[in-house]
Amino acid sequence: MDKRRWWIAPTILGIALIMAIVWGYNEYTTKNQLGVALENHYQRLFFDVKKHVENVQVDLSKALLSESRDQNVLLLSRIMNEAYSAQDKLGQMPITHAETAKTEKFLNQAADYSYHLIQNHLKGKPLTMEQRKTLANLQDNSSVFNNELAKLQSQLADKTFLMGSLNRRQTKKVQQANEKVLSTSIGSVERVMEKTPELIYDGPFSDQMLNRKPLGLSGKEVSKQQAEKVARDFFGADRVKNITSFEEGKDVSQVRIPSHTFNLYPKNTSKELAVYMGVSKKGGKVLWLANPRPVSKASLSIKQAQDKALKYLKDKGFDSMEPNYYLRYDGTVLFNFVYKEKDVTIYPDLIKVKVALDNGEIVGFDASSYYLNHHNRDIEEANITIEEARDKVKVDFDIDSIRLALIPKGKEEVLCYEFKGKYRNADYIVYINALNGEEEQILQIIKNENGTLTF
Amino acid sequence: MKKFTIMTMIFVMVFLSIIMFYEPKSNLGESTNKYNMFFAPQILYWGSRGQDVKNVQWQLVKWKYLIGKVDGVYGPDTYRAVRRFQAKHGLRVDGVVGPSTAAALGITLRGTTAPASAQGLNRKGDEYLLARTIHGEARGEPYIGKVAVAAVVLNRTRSPKFPNTVAGVVYQPLAFTAVADGQINLNPDKDSIKAARDALNGWDPTYGCLYYWNPATATSRWIWSRKVTLKIGKHWFGL
Repeated sequence: MDKRRWWIAPTILGIALIMAIVWGYNEYTTKNQLGVALENHYQRLFFDVKKHVENVQVDLSKALLSESRDQNVLLLSRIMNEAYSAQDKLGQMPITHAETAKTEKFLNQAADYSYHLIQNHLKGKPLTMEQRKTLANLQDNSSVFNNELAKLQSQLADKTFLMGSLNRRQTKKVQQANEKVLSTSIGSVERVMEKTPELIYDGPFSDQMLNRKPLGLSGKEVSKQQAEKVARDFFGADRVKNITSFEEGKDVSQVRIPSHTFNLYPKNTSKELAVYMGVSKKGGKVLWLANPRPVSKASLSIKQAQDKALKYLKDKGFDSMEPNYYLRYDGTVLFNFVYKEKDVTIYPDLIKVKVALDNGEIVGFDASSYYLNHHNRDIEEANITIEEARDKVKVDFDIDSIRLALIPKGKEEVLCYEFKGKYRNADYIVYINALNGEEEQILQIIKNENGTLTF
Repeated sequence: MKKFTIMTMIFVMVFLSIIMFYEPKSNLGESTNKYNMFFAPQILYWGSRGQDVKNVQWQLVKWKYLIGKVDGVYGPDTYRAVRRFQAKHGLRVDGVVGPSTAAALGITLRGTTAPASAQGLNRKGDEYLLARTIHGEARGEPYIGKVAVAAVVLNRTRSPKFPNTVAGVVYQPLAFTAVADGQINLNPDKDSIKAARDALNGWDPTYGCLYYWNPATATSRWIWSRKVTLKIGKHWFGL
């Protein structure tokens, strides 16, 4: 019997071995395919970035030479497009943020700046000497960048250069060398970018907008103890069991609105459920409050919640606030309240209030944009009448309501007529400048039963 | 002895074939279901309105549980009819139309779908991606630490030094460890989704910070050269 069955074990072992080899080979080829696909993707990104930066450089030099306004608008719009594309693709390459931050900033601002210049051109303003100088500077920077990329490109022609090699073990050395090449050349671009002066213009990515200081805060610096008292009183001193402050670093005063931040532990709740609050150092105002307690059963209506929120704001000393939009989520409603002065809705002065729908408690409050923007304004009289403004809006725009509003535009604010209405079955708001009749902005609104979103 | 060898061989074979042919079940479907549950609560109860209620009433009228008109308002008549229906079909009698009752009625709840005029515009994509990032990066953090992580992602989209979209920031290579090791693909829990919504609605406990790091695990020396501002939970935040 033994003699007849001796072959069984080796056969099964053999089959098992073959299966293991097949499996291993499959894994190996799959890994290689993935590696090649990833490498191809990175190579493509690299060559694209090169091409986009080339185009930026060339178009910038053309824009500097051109004397025609129309030509300039076309060139600038192409610069914007190419710079954004280059930035987008640079952000996808396997390089650390530390090595690309300034280059990305340069590309973003170049695009943003071009957009700003296009707007100027369309308003009929020619390029100033200053702007020409800035453009020349941008052109210099892009040519440095382009040079480095060209160097990299020739190194890329070397077969051993792989950007995202998956073969960790066998090419460790190669990989390290590659990373060095990539880092040093992008790094040297970074050093050039560092020397670029700040771009002065009016756009969302400009340094002026980024380093804005709050306008609505005045008064003395408050100490931590004073701020703690403000926080206690704001929440209701008798409801607070304990209050602790967040640990602060040495640069805490460099943030947009320097503040003291606290954990409040209300009475009758478990330790995990804290209420969080930020109190500005200057003037000691409550900037924000978040109470993440769960809301079990929604029983209040939106109207009831809105009344609670309005009363809350009145108690806290915000008088002429007007409810605008609401958004319902997680058993709460979020209201956007906007400041109103002399029948003008002032959108930059925005306060958000979140009401829990079970008992009407205020579980969220955010006045940071109010304090960032609120100041004593000299609101001008409208130069044109409603009828004149209406003529500037598309004839078949179905208007529901009209009012005066102040909307932000860069760091300026402009007085506009606000036309709410419907066009082709969708809701929009159209803003017409009340001083010169220009169409300033169009917003699309999405309404559903949970509230309103603007796009 | 022989028998033992053969058994071992068979065992090895079975084991190998499991390795070769096993394909991990994708939990994508499950995660989207969970997502929909949180984002568009597909539950109808007393006071609900809309097309879904109409569909329920239509079925109930057709099967003679409800005598009345189809008006799209979940009132007392509809409530009683739903209870009768649930009792008859061995469902939990609670007068609430959830997924199981809806299935027994032979309809699917569309939930809070946007009207046609929305043209597919919504914020859900960003919301969900942010929630997943929070879940991957700050699962064990206190609530405010979760909002803070989401706020950093949103502050980055507004900074010229970073990509300009939420996905661009989240998936930037070498930016987030939770993205690199795949933890971002876990199902976000309820708290993460709530935190993502709060951050999208403007709450920013970091006052505009662009970086955060965990001092216990941060490996990059560069990150310590940032301006240190605030510690929330286990993370330091900086500019």
